[in-house]
Amino acid sequence: MTQMMTIEPATTHATRHATGRPKIEVRNLDFHYGTSRALKDISLSLPERSVTAFIGPSGCGKSTLLRVFNRIYELYPGQKASGEVLLDGVNILDRKQDLNLLRAKIGMVFQKPTPFPMTIYENIAFGVRLYEKLTKAELDGRVEDALRRAALWDEVKDKLDASGLSLSGGQQQRLCIARTVAVKPEVILLDEPASALDPISTAKIEELIEELQADYTIVIVTHNMQQAARVSRQTAFMYLGELIEFADTETIFTSPREKRTQDYITGRFG
Amino acid sequence: MTDIAAGEGAQSDGRQASLRRFALSDAAFRNTTRAAALLVLLSLAGVAVSLVNGSLLAFSTFGFEFLVSESWNPVKEKFGALAPIYGTVATSLIAMLIAVPVGVGIAIFLTELCPRPLRRPIGIAVELLAGIPSIIYGIWGLFVFAPFLQRTLQPFLISTFSHVPGLSSLFAGPPYGIGILTAGLILAIMVLPFITSICRDVFASVPPVLKESAYGLGLTTWEVTSRVVLPYTRVAVVGAVMLALGRALGETMAVTFVIGNAHRITASILAPGTTISAAIANEFTEATGDLYTSSLIALGLVLFVITFIVLAIARLMLARLRTKAGR
Repeated sequence: MTQMMTIEPATTHATRHATGRPKIEVRNLDFHYGTSRALKDISLSLPERSVTAFIGPSGCGKSTLLRVFNRIYELYPGQKASGEVLLDGVNILDRKQDLNLLRAKIGMVFQKPTPFPMTIYENIAFGVRLYEKLTKAELDGRVEDALRRAALWDEVKDKLDASGLSLSGGQQQRLCIARTVAVKPEVILLDEPASALDPISTAKIEELIEELQADYTIVIVTHNMQQAARVSRQTAFMYLGELIEFADTETIFTSPREKRTQDYITGRFG
Repeated sequence: MTDIAAGEGAQSDGRQASLRRFALSDAAFRNTTRAAALLVLLSLAGVAVSLVNGSLLAFSTFGFEFLVSESWNPVKEKFGALAPIYGTVATSLIAMLIAVPVGVGIAIFLTELCPRPLRRPIGIAVELLAGIPSIIYGIWGLFVFAPFLQRTLQPFLISTFSHVPGLSSLFAGPPYGIGILTAGLILAIMVLPFITSICRDVFASVPPVLKESAYGLGLTTWEVTSRVVLPYTRVAVVGAVMLALGRALGETMAVTFVIGNAHRITASILAPGTTISAAIANEFTEATGDLYTSSLIALGLVLFVITFIVLAIARLMLARLRTKAGR
């Protein structure tokens, strides 16, 4: 009985923290493009099921940092990361990490919409089929669910057999988000997902991010500070490859600790 | 005041003059390019007309029989085109069966997998392969490659398939060295660089961000290549294959050396045969009678038509592919 008493509060304590539990922890990360050092000793920890924004002027390394999380940079020779990036406590920079498995867990959406050269249905079903054996009905359900989540279902339900390339830019981008969501990743990386879109499409994407954070850990890189303020809970300000400040979005935008952060968000440079 | 008005008048005069000059040079440019385009149509029509004209005698003598008869007998002046047609199609088919997977494979390796230091040497080697004159492929085929096949590949094929029903007749007979298969292999080597260099260029043109997003879903290199890169570039790849096929159908010199030049159709691809272009090249000097010459020209017309059919099929396939992809 006394033992129970001592365990119980500990468990509640743990569950309370579960929502803010770090999903990704970056420790002393350095990144090199050939000989130039693009990230300098970055350390931060991203909480689970919440949106974190990376902001900063062009070339500050925010996209580079994002590209480390799914090791997509490895497609190109001469790009090297050193340090540690822990996903649920496991170092993903480890040589032994299976890349396909990692990328199934960490989905990514790019600046420009990148629908695959196949039908709308296939664009989504394709990725799902790689990891799961589903019946036709289950797959249909999964495709619909993903399209609904991306707020695209109503617009495309009558033309699932049309090419993904036939959609408008904003629709294509939501298709890419649906495709990413469909394989049920744990983390979604968004690399300036709305920078090529019109304001209405942008608003839709932002709404979507808002909804997705209930289930996913989301990291978004953006040039648009209002966007960062609108969608994220934490914001990291980066400058010249360094992490200048990382805090709650509200703190960053109302009372930043660093002068450089304040200068940037008030538009004094960058 | 008047000065300014006069100045303006002069200015607008000058402007009008230069506008007239532009209109003139524009028209000249337009007409030159149009003439260049018309020249293509004219020469195509000219070739077609002279082929038809030259082959009239053969077709009026043999009628439809010319296309379906296998016999080719200059002494009795009896000519049928079936054997060279068969040989042309068979050698090109063998060449495509080998060159398409190998050529596309090389291109994929070069763009997706090849370590950087190896990329240039292999790419240059493939391009040099395209630069070798066909006569050199011919003598190499006759003096080196055919005897090599006669000693190694052909006995192996004959003994391996001798008891397999169906395949035994395909690989039957004594290993001559020269023959349909040898010609097909030489053609495969010759068209390989076309397929590889075009495919390499179009694979390299796939936007990196498209490949990144495919890899970002956790796809393997094989899946990215087969499901994203190839579909994205399929039109150009089919184009490359058709270009290669066109070259294989018409290739003359190297084939004439190694095919054996026998006007007959055998089930075995190891046996000697002939192709349309090889027959024409081989026999034009000895074609004495009008009917003989006309028959050879008729062969040329048949090749012309086959090439047209290939192009038409290619267009049809591309149209199908597009509807399938929902475009």
